[in-house]
Amino acid sequence: MMPQFARTLPRWAKALVALAGAFSFVVVPALPAHAADYVPISGAGSSWSSNALDQWRRNVEQYGMRVNYASTGSSDGRNQFRSGTVDFAVSEIPYGLRDGGVTDEPPTRGYAYMPIVAGGTSFMYNLAAGGQQIANLRLSGEVIAKIFTGGITQWDDPAIKADNPGIDLPSRQIVPVVRSDGSGSTAQFTTWMSKTQASIWDAYCSAAGRSTPCGVTSNYPVVAGKGFIAQPNSTGVAGYVSQAANVGTITYVEYSYALKTGFPVAKVLNSADYYVEPTASNVAVGLLGATINTTPGPQYLTSNLDGVYANADPRAYPLSSYSYMIVPTTTDSPFTADKGKTLGAFANYFLCEGQQQAEVLGYSPLPINLVQAGLDQVQRIPGVGSTTVNIADCNNPTFSSDGSNTLAQNAPMPSDCDKKGATQCTTATGGAAGSGASGTSSTGGSSSKFGTSGSGGGGGGGRLGIPLGNGPISCDPDTGECHNVVAEATKIESGPGWGVTQSVMVASVVLLLAVVFLPPVLGRTLRARREGKE
Amino acid sequence: MTLEAPRKLVLISDRGDIIYRTVARSGGIIVLAIMTAIGVFLALRAGQAIGKAGFSFVWTQAWEPDANHFGISAVLIGTLIIALVAIVIAVPLSLGTALYISEYAPRKLQRTLISLVDLMAAIPSVVFGLWGFFSLQGNIIDVAKWISKTFGWIPIFAVDGFNADDPLSSDTVFTASSFVAGIVVALMITPIMTSIMREVFSQAPVGEREGALGLGATKWGMIRSVVLPYGVGGIIGGTMLGLGRALGETIAVYMIISPVFAIQPHILQSGASSISSLIALKYGEATAFGMSALMAAGLTLFFVTLVVNFGASAIVARSRSGQSS
Repeated sequence: MMPQFARTLPRWAKALVALAGAFSFVVVPALPAHAADYVPISGAGSSWSSNALDQWRRNVEQYGMRVNYASTGSSDGRNQFRSGTVDFAVSEIPYGLRDGGVTDEPPTRGYAYMPIVAGGTSFMYNLAAGGQQIANLRLSGEVIAKIFTGGITQWDDPAIKADNPGIDLPSRQIVPVVRSDGSGSTAQFTTWMSKTQASIWDAYCSAAGRSTPCGVTSNYPVVAGKGFIAQPNSTGVAGYVSQAANVGTITYVEYSYALKTGFPVAKVLNSADYYVEPTASNVAVGLLGATINTTPGPQYLTSNLDGVYANADPRAYPLSSYSYMIVPTTTDSPFTADKGKTLGAFANYFLCEGQQQAEVLGYSPLPINLVQAGLDQVQRIPGVGSTTVNIADCNNPTFSSDGSNTLAQNAPMPSDCDKKGATQCTTATGGAAGSGASGTSSTGGSSSKFGTSGSGGGGGGGRLGIPLGNGPISCDPDTGECHNVVAEATKIESGPGWGVTQSVMVASVVLLLAVVFLPPVLGRTLRARREGKE
Repeated sequence: MTLEAPRKLVLISDRGDIIYRTVARSGGIIVLAIMTAIGVFLALRAGQAIGKAGFSFVWTQAWEPDANHFGISAVLIGTLIIALVAIVIAVPLSLGTALYISEYAPRKLQRTLISLVDLMAAIPSVVFGLWGFFSLQGNIIDVAKWISKTFGWIPIFAVDGFNADDPLSSDTVFTASSFVAGIVVALMITPIMTSIMREVFSQAPVGEREGALGLGATKWGMIRSVVLPYGVGGIIGGTMLGLGRALGETIAVYMIISPVFAIQPHILQSGASSISSLIALKYGEATAFGMSALMAAGLTLFFVTLVVNFGASAIVARSRSGQSS
């Protein structure tokens, strides 16, 4: 035994040396990556706005800022910020709201709200009839409320037909997909329901065992046996709706998720009797009706959206809202002045330059007054120092020389076929607009299954046994609404070129595989050799 | 004959013995202490919620701790259902795999298979969850549909709101169910069950195997008369250990199920619940009292798992293979 062992030992040693060599190759270039003096910061919260945040985080990496963000839901973000486990939180709703009989207590340390981006809570759906994906659905507020409270259960319900004279709706069950975790999207949606469809919402809420009037809640109540599906996180609900088999599902989620997964969103009826889509410009128009709290105090910059719901502009999207970052204003643990420097620089970046990307990501850029107010809030973060941002250089599409909102002013008027009545536009919405292949690179599976690329329509019939495919629906020249934003989104996500980070990533993958596969393989060969000699 | 008093045994322990004994003993005590500490911690933190809910905690189905309307019955039964589905699928799978590896596979393949099964145990549960959510769920619908069509008269396979004659009826009632979650959990517990069973089977005494073969038994006859009776303790013990893991599986279940807080015995129908996924779902946003309620749920799971694992070790120890190993 011994001589064999001695003979095999050097091989082990060689392998170890090789491994160690590989390891040192990885570690050495990784350490002095940037001569940055930014300390890493971490945050948690909203998944509603996480697509924008994730893009911004990637963008500031080139300046050596490391911003960690966990999109675990707004409620979790606020809780973690309150208990001091994160440096900042992102939430759609402020502290202090009563939810299910319990007040969401504000943290004891200093904090401030800072708007980060605007967007529309959209109704993304998966519906097909006669082998064609339906991509031009329109819904009125009452119908939406009834769908999400179990009042309307079939897609061919007369109320939905009345909204959609141009669609031959299938006799399918509607499957509402709601959030199972505490979420800002749910809060946005239930705020809207409690303000505009109070009786429907309260009736459902009391059936679910909550006290009425129900008002806003972050946890969507589910009544067992109604056929609702509850999934955690925005990616969960969007992922569920976008699965090929789940025809008939509808969910509420930020518009960017519909663009990302390549699925259409319902056009929602506004106060001017037009059905509108939550595009960047329609959200910007809708939010002209928002009342921003400008009284200095803890609620400074929070918004009242009643005016948005009632906005009489024909271009206004009723479920438009802002997402907020909750930033600390004191250096209570775990926050430090060093972290404040990173957070301030990050905030200055996304309030200024970052807003340019809001539209392609499926959000809407902040108007100049909120950018200015947000930049003022940044100054309250300890450790920021005196940084000045020249607001004119931000190239924010909403800015103008006279202070008005350019994006909203230049928003195209909805076409006549979008007016409530007997006509209906055939333009596809959301991620289904344009050619299917454009913006859906991240979820190629779902789009190819549905054949939204047009050419693949014949093959992907799948479960129904009939070809599915809506073909590339080109944009209507009358509306002037072309959703080539989707195509641009792909470019953004393609990411930077090859660099040290990429090499390190590849090396670490190789190492991981080696750690997993090497021991059993080595063990086998050694054992085989030993047994061969015996 | 004179009875001699038995010689008295005097243990002379040298330094090595003492050190070894101390290290081993303290290791054992520390494990016990940690377990007790976890139990005490859970009980202390759960006290507030249990004290307020009283006995209604046992039979209430809803989970609205802030409205003081919460109980363990729905989630506990949901946990057991998912675990049972997983066990029903995993036992034949791992039994077959273990028998094939230890008895039938050629030597070279044997080692590859062992490595593969061990690798399967190394896959993180979130990966299983992603796979279950994005890949398995859509493709398993037809199986679930067939089961419900054929065996729908058995209450647990019935699905409300599904009409087999309506081609447009929604398939989503077959997703996010205990069945789908159970399959994923089954795949996660298969490796550990397979390893334990294979280990026990390979220890079946060679003499008895040769005896059976010498008496003219076929290979299958030998397995039935020697390997399986010898390994029964390992089969049961492995199953119980798998059950213990299945009860506590969190993230994969959390990603797949659509949580309902009502007893849902229809395993094919969407809507399921489990204690660990409830905790994963709610702990981030819980109020202080809600956290106490979650701790109470955790305490329940802790006891259930403890009972299952003690049961497993008792059965394994009493069996022949358990004693010899």
